[in-house]
Amino acid sequence: MKKIGIEGRKKHPRIRTGDNVQEVLMITPMTIGFLLFSVYPILWVIRWSFFDYNGYSTAEFIGLENFIRVFTRDPAYWDSLKNTFMIAGLKMLVEIPLALFLAVVLNNKLKGSAFFRVVFFLPSVFSIAVVGLIFSLLFSSYNGIVNAVLRTCGLITRNIGWFSDKSHAMFVIILVSLWTTFGLNMIYFLMGLQNIPASLYECAEIDGANVFQKFFYITLPMVAPILQLVIMLSVLGTMKMTDLILVLTNGAPGGSTEVVMTYIFKYFFSYGDNTARSVQFGYASSMAVVTAIILGVITLIYLKMSRKMQEMEE
Amino acid sequence: MKKTGKTVCYAVLYIILIILAVFTIFPIVYILLSSFKSNQEILVGGVNLLPKEWLYSNYKQAWTLANFGRLTFNSIFYAFFVVAGCVISSMAAGYVFARGKTKITKIINNMVLCSLFISIGTLSLYPQLQLAKSVGLSGTLWGPIIIHVFGMNATQVFIATGFIRQISTEIDEAARIDGCGFFKIFYKIIFPLCKPLIATTGLMAFRTAWSDYLLPYVFTISEKTKWPLVVGVVSLKSSGEAVSSWNLMLAGISISILPMLIVYLFLNRYFIAGLTEGAVKG
Repeated sequence: MKKIGIEGRKKHPRIRTGDNVQEVLMITPMTIGFLLFSVYPILWVIRWSFFDYNGYSTAEFIGLENFIRVFTRDPAYWDSLKNTFMIAGLKMLVEIPLALFLAVVLNNKLKGSAFFRVVFFLPSVFSIAVVGLIFSLLFSSYNGIVNAVLRTCGLITRNIGWFSDKSHAMFVIILVSLWTTFGLNMIYFLMGLQNIPASLYECAEIDGANVFQKFFYITLPMVAPILQLVIMLSVLGTMKMTDLILVLTNGAPGGSTEVVMTYIFKYFFSYGDNTARSVQFGYASSMAVVTAIILGVITLIYLKMSRKMQEMEE
Repeated sequence: MKKTGKTVCYAVLYIILIILAVFTIFPIVYILLSSFKSNQEILVGGVNLLPKEWLYSNYKQAWTLANFGRLTFNSIFYAFFVVAGCVISSMAAGYVFARGKTKITKIINNMVLCSLFISIGTLSLYPQLQLAKSVGLSGTLWGPIIIHVFGMNATQVFIATGFIRQISTEIDEAARIDGCGFFKIFYKIIFPLCKPLIATTGLMAFRTAWSDYLLPYVFTISEKTKWPLVVGVVSLKSSGEAVSSWNLMLAGISISILPMLIVYLFLNRYFIAGLTEGAVKG
């Protein structure tokens, strides 16, 4: 059948040319969109990173001055980057064991496991911005339910100002971003677990392995590729986190919980009550370039890992 | 002896699962229930989950005073065009990538792949806005709609490509012999075979559009009447009147999360499929 088709096409080069034209026409609108909305912004950012430009004054070419500023005179940028990595790391420490544990538990044919799966995945469908808003209400220091519950249980005597010092605010940020994504990661692990042949476990049982031995000698090595994927997605997701921070803390207190994306974002747009800082497109662009390179390096590592993962599958 | 050990083990597991489930659902339930409380009750706080008195006026007020009727309409408008557009554009792109034979297609495909690794996230918003301004599209939701529809969402496109690749090419060949061209094969044969794909991409696009915050925010920042729900709800927090309008904010949040909640309850299978496939294939 296939052969006939190929021969048929060879006999009618005109038809194939027509097909080619149609093919290119079909992809053209999306290609233009892609070039305008994905490629152009990157080029725009690279270009203006060499300029002193705030949108009103005339742009002035200053060479590498912006980059020198990023690397030598802007500790706040590096603090925001540090915060980002701290959130990513601490979040992962809790999230990955939790998601893996839930996946292992729900992979058994427990009664109600479908129900729990749907419940745990639920937070990932909501708007991150609205989630940020919801939790800022829950953790509100005067009338938030969290303080009220802690007080009623006798765990605290005075209301905690969750957003008035850095460590509490970071705790809330990590908790919220954990809440939004642990279900998604659980589903990734479940997919990995379903690919493990049941015969492996049966053999282990015959050899008298207990639950923990089965987990550490079969389950963990078998889900290792998924584990790598989850780790990388989690790091990249945290690196790109913007909405949540803007709505939840907006950098409070005093910019100490700013992450890298929100820090740069505020040099592009004045956001919220943070109008004191003026926008500086040129400088923001150079920070965007630096961040993109850092992101790119992390993704390259991810790419290498997923290659390895494919090789392992084959 | 062994059996009781197992029962205890299961009981412990269930307790852990139930506690986690409560923690997961609690914020949503709390917000939905509190949206019926009076503003005074909310401001006093306390551990009461249920409102002392069920007030429906919060919703009425939010709908008229805070203009949530308008915002809801904007959100529906926005979601409708993003969903319809994304389904068509991602399927067309997926079809071309799966079946196309020209060099141009291959180059574009590789470029889209590369774009996954060179991304500046929300930092591309400013250049995008400048672009929209230069063609007079800022201040409306059409800018974000066009960006979503034609911006080649890599995840959606790759899911579509993967799905269409699985459809046997024999069907194409048969149609070709009957005189169908490349495009005609798409809308006569491939499109009708893609119903599960339409469900997945459509839901993903719906979720993106309905929860979108920063993109519509920067485009419609000064046009209050064009805001979608999420932008309007969040603006209540920073607008300084926050203290006097907690009840409005809670009603607004409920209005914005309820549609998503209902859709998820009925179609959670497709949601889970879409979000996971996207990440693994992408």
